[in-house]
Amino acid sequence: MTPTLSHRLDAVARNLVPAALGVLFVLLSTIPFYIPGFGAVAPNFVLMAVFFWAVHRVDLFTSVTVFFIGLLLDILVGTPPGINAAVLVLVRTVAASQGKVFRGKSFLVLWWGFGLVAFAAGFVIWALTAIYHFALVNPMPIVFQMTMTVAVFPFLAWIFARTHQKLFQHI
Amino acid sequence: MVNKRGGSSVIRLAVPLKVLLQRFVFLFLVLAAFGIMLLSKAETIVVEKVSTVVVDVFAPIMDVLSRPAAAINDSVKTVRELAALREENIRLKSENQRLLIWQEAARRLDSQNLALKSLLDFKTGPKSQSIATRVIADSGGAFVRSVVVNAGERDGVRKGQAAVSGAGLAGRVATAGYRSARVLLITDINSRVPVLIESSRDRAILAGDNSRQPRLIFLPANASVKAGDRVVTSGHGGVFPPGLQVGQIVSSPDGVFRIKPFVSFRQLEFLRLIDYATAPPVIPMRSPLVPPKQAASR
Repeated sequence: MTPTLSHRLDAVARNLVPAALGVLFVLLSTIPFYIPGFGAVAPNFVLMAVFFWAVHRVDLFTSVTVFFIGLLLDILVGTPPGINAAVLVLVRTVAASQGKVFRGKSFLVLWWGFGLVAFAAGFVIWALTAIYHFALVNPMPIVFQMTMTVAVFPFLAWIFARTHQKLFQHI
Repeated sequence: MVNKRGGSSVIRLAVPLKVLLQRFVFLFLVLAAFGIMLLSKAETIVVEKVSTVVVDVFAPIMDVLSRPAAAINDSVKTVRELAALREENIRLKSENQRLLIWQEAARRLDSQNLALKSLLDFKTGPKSQSIATRVIADSGGAFVRSVVVNAGERDGVRKGQAAVSGAGLAGRVATAGYRSARVLLITDINSRVPVLIESSRDRAILAGDNSRQPRLIFLPANASVKAGDRVVTSGHGGVFPPGLQVGQIVSSPDGVFRIKPFVSFRQLEFLRLIDYATAPPVIPMRSPLVPPKQAASR
């Protein structure tokens, strides 16, 4: 059976959803919320998106896509360019390689896995920042940020799971 | 690429090849990220240019996205202000009384100052103009303190200009795009501002360290500094106008003098960028790469 053009376009559009969500979360990360201290501890939405899609549909979220999403995050947020790009590519690779461990298991397993990955990613971000500035930067903000990220993860994962179901139930 | 329909032997070869290719891509991307980091650390023009263009491209979207949050913030503020209207009115009345006395004093001192300046044939610094901007993006990073504003070179924004909010100095323009600019806040780890202690006139450098209270460094050993002293920009380096209020000194347990900035960084919604360094003598110092003629015509 050869798919018609509209079918193919439809499939392409669906396949672009994770990447588009990634860019959307990058933009959401830059919104000034005017909440005391929120900017420094705002959850890392992009990390959640990359982890979730790398576990469930790694084929839709290529390393190159993840790299550019990370670079865009760096540039818009103002972090040294390359830090988030490197960390997100690492997270994608780790999550994809462990995908079998998480798929089909209870959500708690996925959450626990995300917690490990998030804090490891936080450590790498902190270490790269310290090396970049050649200064021992205070690690507490990233600890708070990753705690927030892990705490918010179930909510975002639910949205991702619904999106995933809606878009790919027939594929 | 390898044709998968070519037979089982090809498939057997294609799978490890694919894995190998994926590993190669992974390695390449990580190395590329480190390469970009190095280039940016070396302050390569290309990295700065590309970053500026990308921020410029996304600026309109960020501008739109930031508006609902700003609107909510404004209405919350309005409700809060309405609740405190009576007390605020009483406070303002008493403040007004005090300020009228100060105004009298300021007028007297101003005319005296003018008279003394003309006696000394005193040369005043370049006149400054300001550009009003709105904050459209906040840094969501744990280790960076900067914001993006919705004005760029087309509005007269230049790298190095001081960014002021109502209460005092907030930061300086780190990069300026066509329609957007990034302002590095004085609390950022990369921020260094020449300041002086208002009462003792001791010079120092205000150095951010990502905490809410930046440190004073290079303070003279015999400087007389105490908690509560006000700190203002010194104007050294010719980029910032002298006398901009920065903050108050707070005593710190680690023996380092820190500043409590007058600006509330949580509520940064609007910033005024001060175009001070446009007078000809300052331009060659600010940007040695641009020929003076071209810089003057911009």
